[in-house]
Amino acid sequence: MDKMEGASEPRKTQCQETGKCFELLESILDGEIDNSKEVLKEKLAKCQPCFEHFHLEQAIRDVLKKKCTKQKLPPQLAESIRSKIQELK
Amino acid sequence: MSDDKRRKYSEAEKTAIFDGEFMPHIDSMYNFGYRLTFDEDDAKDLVQDTYLKAYRFINSFEKGTNAKAWLFRILKNSFINEYRKKSKQPAKVDYQEVETYYNSDNVNYQQTSDLRAESVKDMLGDEISNALNSLAVDFRTVIILADLEGFTYEEMSKILDIPIGTVRSRLHRARNLLKVKLKGYAQDMGYETEEEEDL
Repeated sequence: MDKMEGASEPRKTQCQETGKCFELLESILDGEIDNSKEVLKEKLAKCQPCFEHFHLEQAIRDVLKKKCTKQKLPPQLAESIRSKIQELK
Repeated sequence: MSDDKRRKYSEAEKTAIFDGEFMPHIDSMYNFGYRLTFDEDDAKDLVQDTYLKAYRFINSFEKGTNAKAWLFRILKNSFINEYRKKSKQPAKVDYQEVETYYNSDNVNYQQTSDLRAESVKDMLGDEISNALNSLAVDFRTVIILADLEGFTYEEMSKILDIPIGTVRSRLHRARNLLKVKLKGYAQDMGYETEEEEDL
């Protein structure tokens, strides 16, 4: 991970450790890293590839959630399950 | 919880657990079933079978623990054991794709790095859904569990019976495959995916 100091510098355009960095960013987005705010802020401020990867990953998650979770439940399904359960009792 | 050891629930308790902890997840369960089978009737049967199993084995469920993960695990196992065999549209696994991605330690990050967040945000049609559906079932499943349902790696590890490290790497590979598909759509939509852009 990059330890470069100085937050006001432009983001570096090359990331030497995309493997590690992207894995970390994805784990942060997945909510798997505690207290990740500072690490994230620093990464996004300093590294353009990390910045882009993070925002792409976030956009994909947002669109997935918005477009792929709305399968309409067949109206009779819950009722049919309940009546089958009654038969089991 | 004074009666931890008394695992046999009374009829009233069973009904309370079933209604209070199991049924609230029916929408997510149906969505999962549909994304696995691509068929409304199969998804319905899968969800119904899962709930019947859940009721039958309700004594092995610890009240107050993660009912959703428990139900998803049953559904996933039912799908593997029953539906994949008899499904009208047998799960077509692209073995070459799976092998390539399972066996490579280093995932190629560069291949998709030129897909931009902006073009993904503009995918308002079925692109994302089609891209998800096109993935082999093991990859599709981890994306559904993580990104649609918000399960943690640990929960996914239990649902899928695989180590957490495998969850992480499979998820990463699944996302890369998804990005390859999305990149194709972005190009179809006229995005210059390789163009640099100042943000």
